[in-house]
Parts: sequence; C-alpha cells; structure tokens
Amino acid sequence: MTIDHAPASAGAVLSPGDRAELELRHRKIREAMAEQGLDVVLAYGPAWRRENIRYFTDVTPAGSAALVVFPAEGEAVAFSTRPSDLAAFTAQGWVDRARRLDPANPAGLGVVLEELAPRRIGIAHHELVPLVLMETIRSAAPGAEVVSATTLLDTARLVKSEWELARMRRSAVVCAAGWEAFVDVLEPGLPEYRIVAEVEARLKNLGAEDNFMLIASGRDEVRGMTPPGDRLLEAGDLVRTELTPKMDGYWLQICRSAVVGKADDGQRKSFDLFNEAVEAGISVVRPGITAHEVAVAENDVFRKYGYGEYCTSQYTRVRGHGHGLHLDETPIIEGNHTVLPENSVFIIHPNTYTPLAGYHVLGDPVRVTADGCEVLITTERKLFETGDVA
Amino acid sequence: MKRGLHVLDPAETPDREWQERVATLQRAMAAHGVDVALVYGDVSRSDDIAYLTNLCIYWNEGVLAIPAEGPVTFLTKLSLRVQNWMKASSKVTEFSGGRNFADLVAKYLLGRKTGVLGLVDAALWPADVAGEIGAAVPGWEVRRLAGLVRAQRLVPSAAETELLRAAGRILDHAAAAATVEGSTAGSRVETVERALRGGGFLDLYPNSLTTSDGVTSFGVTGQFRTGWVHTSRVLGDGDGWAGTLNEALAQAISATKAGATVGALAEAAAAALATLPGGATAEVRWVNQADLSTGGEFRTHDPAAVLADGEAGAVSVEVVFADGGNAAVAETVRVTEGEPEHLTGAQR
Repeated sequence: MTIDHAPASAGAVLSPGDRAELELRHRKIREAMAEQGLDVVLAYGPAWRRENIRYFTDVTPAGSAALVVFPAEGEAVAFSTRPSDLAAFTAQGWVDRARRLDPANPAGLGVVLEELAPRRIGIAHHELVPLVLMETIRSAAPGAEVVSATTLLDTARLVKSEWELARMRRSAVVCAAGWEAFVDVLEPGLPEYRIVAEVEARLKNLGAEDNFMLIASGRDEVRGMTPPGDRLLEAGDLVRTELTPKMDGYWLQICRSAVVGKADDGQRKSFDLFNEAVEAGISVVRPGITAHEVAVAENDVFRKYGYGEYCTSQYTRVRGHGHGLHLDETPIIEGNHTVLPENSVFIIHPNTYTPLAGYHVLGDPVRVTADGCEVLITTERKLFETGDVA
Repeated sequence: MKRGLHVLDPAETPDREWQERVATLQRAMAAHGVDVALVYGDVSRSDDIAYLTNLCIYWNEGVLAIPAEGPVTFLTKLSLRVQNWMKASSKVTEFSGGRNFADLVAKYLLGRKTGVLGLVDAALWPADVAGEIGAAVPGWEVRRLAGLVRAQRLVPSAAETELLRAAGRILDHAAAAATVEGSTAGSRVETVERALRGGGFLDLYPNSLTTSDGVTSFGVTGQFRTGWVHTSRVLGDGDGWAGTLNEALAQAISATKAGATVGALAEAAAAALATLPGGATAEVRWVNQADLSTGGEFRTHDPAAVLADGEAGAVSVEVVFADGGNAAVAETVRVTEGEPEHLTGAQR
C-alpha cells in the first residue's frame, strides 16, 4: 500500500492571529502575481530551502522535497515526499489539500496543474527544481510560460509582520541560551565537535527545530569557520561561532567569540575593532537604508584603522544578512542596493580575518524601526573569557 | 546544515579505497562512452561526492568533475579560505571557485578535446544548472546518466561496513536512552543530539510522530562519516496496535535476506498489518543506507528489486490512521544470506 494523500481535513480552526497572517500573505502574493501576470505560483522546497513552503503552510515538512501550488484564485495544494507531512499540512489549517510527491513519478503534481491550466507559472526556487519535476511541470502545462518567482517570494518575506516578529523574539531568547551553553562548556582539551553537541542539546531542549552553526578554534592562524573537527581546545584559543537556532520556522543568529582563559592584547584589540564596526553598522540603520550603506559603515571602521583589505572576498563573505524563514536572506554587502524597510530583520556582523587575532566574529540581529533599529538579542557584546559570568 | 564531526582518517578508510572508488567510476564512464562526468550535490543530498572524496558540503551546493583519467576537481561557489579547509579534510587536490557552475564547467573543459559530458543522476540535477551547463559548453554532447555513483554505494565495502556497525552501536544506545519512560519531546532530542554529535556523527534528523490516541514514535536518521543509519521506535509498552507494528517490523526484517525481493518484506508483514484498526494505511519500505539522507524519497519503490548480500539499509513500517495520526517503526540491518545482521535494534 502507499500513502498518497492526507486524510480529509478535520476542519482545523485558525486563531484570529493566524487567520490574519494567512490572509496578509495571500494578499501580498496575489498582488504581486497580478503585477507579474502569473496564474500560478509554485513554491519548490528541497530539504535545505523550505522557507517558501513554510510561508504558505506554516509547516516545515520533514520530507526531502515539498511543493506548494498557489493559484491566483482558489485554494493552495501542498505536496511532500514524506507521508507524515501530509496530515501535518492539513492539520495546521493553512492549506486544505495535501498530496504525496513522488519525484520518480510526479504524476499527482501534473494532475493538479492540468486542472488549473495556467498560462504563466512563477516558480519560487526555479533554480533548484530538479529536471524530473521541471519536465512534469512543463508537460502538464504545455504552452505555459514558466518564469522564476524566487524574487517575488523573497520580496514578500522581507518585511516582517508583528506575528512574525513575535516568533523571532522567541528565537532571540534561544540564541542567548545557546551562547551561554557554548561558553559554559569551553575548556582546554575539549574537542570542537563536543562543543557543538552540547550547544545542540541545549537548543533542542528549548524547542529549536534546527540550527545553523559554524565554528573555529585556535589563534591568529584561523582564516574562517567550518563544521567542527576533532581539534582539542587549548588555553588562549579564541573560539568563534555563528549560532543560528530556528524556532517556529524563524531563524535568528548571534555571532560571538570567546577566549579559553584570559584574552591577550591582540584579542582585545581585535574585539574593539569588530565592536566598533558593529556599532557603526547599527548607527546608520533606519527605514530606507540600503544593504550597501550598512556594509560601508562597517567596513569604513576597518579602513580607518588600516584593515580595509580584510573586508574583501579574499577574507570574508558578507557583512551581515537578512533573517526570517531563511537564515541567509538579502546579503549586507557593498554593492547590494536592496532597500531595508521598517520591520526588515538582519544581522550586522563584520566577521573577517585580521592579523590581530585571526578570524573574529561578532554580530547582533536587528529590526529596522521607524527611527532606527532594535537589537533583538540581550547577550552582552563583549569578548567573553571562560570563567566569566555571562 | 551539517555541523557534526568531519574528519578524514586513513585508519578508517585507506587511501587505496578512496582511489578505487574514483577508478571504479572512471571505468563505468568508459563503459558509457563518457569523457567527463559531473556529480551535483547540495547539503541535503551530497553523499555521492562525499563517497568519492570525503568532501563535506556542509551548506549550499557543489559539483564534482571527474575526467576519464586523473584526479577529480571540485567546482564550488565558496571562497578560497573555505577551500583550504576542504583540501585538508578531503581527497580533493584540485578546486575551482566562481559565481556559477556553468562558467566553472566551461573553464574546466577549456582546452580539452570535446566529447561526451555526463550528468550523473541527471534526473535530480537542478534543471536550470543542467541547462546552463549545456549552453556553456558548445561542441560537447551533454548526456543524462543514471546514478552511477549510487550504484557503487549500494553494497558497502568492509571499511564502510565497520563504520556502519560503529554508527549503529552509537545510535542504538542513544535511541534507547532517549525513549526511556518519562522522556519528553525536548529531552528525547536533547539526548540524541548530545549522544550522536558527541559520538562523532556528522548529521542527524530526529523526527517525532503522534497519533490521536496519544502514542508517540521517535525516529532518528544519522550520518556517521559517509554512511547512514536509522531507527524509529514507538514509546511505551508496545500494547495494542503499537505491538502490531513491532510484530510487522520483526516479520519484515526476518524476510530481509540476500536474493529476496523488496516486496517480500511487505508480504512477510502483511498478516500482522491486517489487524491494524480500520482505515489505517501502512507501508513497508526498504531504504538502502545510500539513500537514507533523503529517506529514499527520490528513488522508485520497486517491489521486484532484489536485495544483495552485504547491502545495508533501514526496514520500516509506517502507518497513517484515518484521522491523520502517524506512527513508524524501523531498524537498520545488513543483508546476509541468512538472518540479517542487526545494526540497530533490540537484536543488535
């Protein structure tokens, strides 16, 4: 036997807040669809990019691939490769119908598209749709123009509602707890991967659904962060992490570095440099600022002290990035002129290598307010040393 | 993202085995008339690349280029500073970085005699990437290939089998500790995160399912080095329909032997599953460990497929009830000509 569709919905009743959020999203998407002449938006979500599936369903599916077919008129249909996701979709109540997605034989998707007979389809994460699914889409909608709707969804998700901000504030609390767990466990002789194990255990106990976390330990030879290895911590190491728990679908990041024992002069100077850069970034945030302008404010601090070369792609990637249902939304980088409106959320992190103390990470997530920004986490911005009271 | 221990240990996997994995693929390429093969991977489905190189695509995407002879090259959007870490923790010596894969492939092929460019497991390549590569390499015939690397991975080597046994031991102990009486949703995940990542797992996916009569099943799929193991257990004393699921799983596992068909597992479990409450729908599945990162969901379920001696994978029984509740039981076994070797579970 196979499980290919969700049982009939028991008629999930949405709270007024959930209902308002759902209607807000449908309105935003349908307005954008009308502007772009789209009959259907198809959101595709492989296991590592499920933000748009969550946006339409308020469910993060466990399956390896998921889809939502969202027509300009009518009800959305959710698909997942995993049977247990189907009831989860309908039980949450944001979609009424859910069906099994079989990538090797995606006929069920074809049937739904054939019924809609669209003339123009926008696919969110068009760039990730596998050949087998793309060919099904094209054969089920012959003659339809198929375009990318990735930017459409990214734009819709950029400004957060109060409903979303409430969830992100819960993520902020877990961020702080995760960092405390990180510092608590540091001691000479501990391998890097055991640090991650302890932090993950703490985050998951607090209800985090997932976590994005990079780490590096050592001194000024460290050039970047990666998954953990079996290196053993030594006294005097600077241990750096980007820690990004996801609660209720929403990611939020904290960037901090801690010294095993007491910091040396280079590590203190490095912290001072990075802290000034974070403060410079925060100081320029206001509605309408661009990602480019925030990055320039951060990088100008490095340039002022003669470290400008370390703001280039040879040493670093971005000076921050947006947060939300995806952890790495619009990049905060020179040359990105995306406007950051009120209630957009992003982290300011001038993380990079310098000769002062090697790769250093420091950053806080902020929300753009009417006249500036709100820092969303409460963790002190300082150079942590083991033995400190956090 | 993958955020557990990533190591390259010659004591676990000798250099000769790494070389032979690539050489075997190159022989398959020759048999298919392919001059250069490309393997695509992303963070959620990167095991083919890891199998050939020990590269850890911990985030985002990558493409491995394999020539007919000689060393492989990793094509990546990541910066040089991360490439240095990749060089230190993998068998890859050649890297090429840039903004998109089509340009990287074109650059890689520059100066080579045109021929056949094969996309391994082509059906699962992003259509855009495949199309852009085709447009970027005029003169080359771009050919869609089946899962050539996956085919190599279906029966693990002796070294891989030892690692799967180690993984099974760690997972089994962790799952037992996580599902003790009085455990909570938070404590279960906390326990397996600490035990598995602390035990050297690279990646893990815990998953809880519940039914309307209050039964929870707790499953974990985890990656240890380049192999995967899975278990799922119903909490509590296993009375009633939960006992039926366990019985069905035991019957399915007992039918798991070399030469048996995948369909035989479901047939063995059928009598037990027939006693499930009305309206319940059950699936019995075999997922080779080579496919566990995606739960086997990208592969056709073929009841006629024949199990091979030495193959390792998860036998699972999943049920959805008429009211939408779900439950699952599963264990990982290694196929032999007789009784399967239990890598996880009470009989391990």
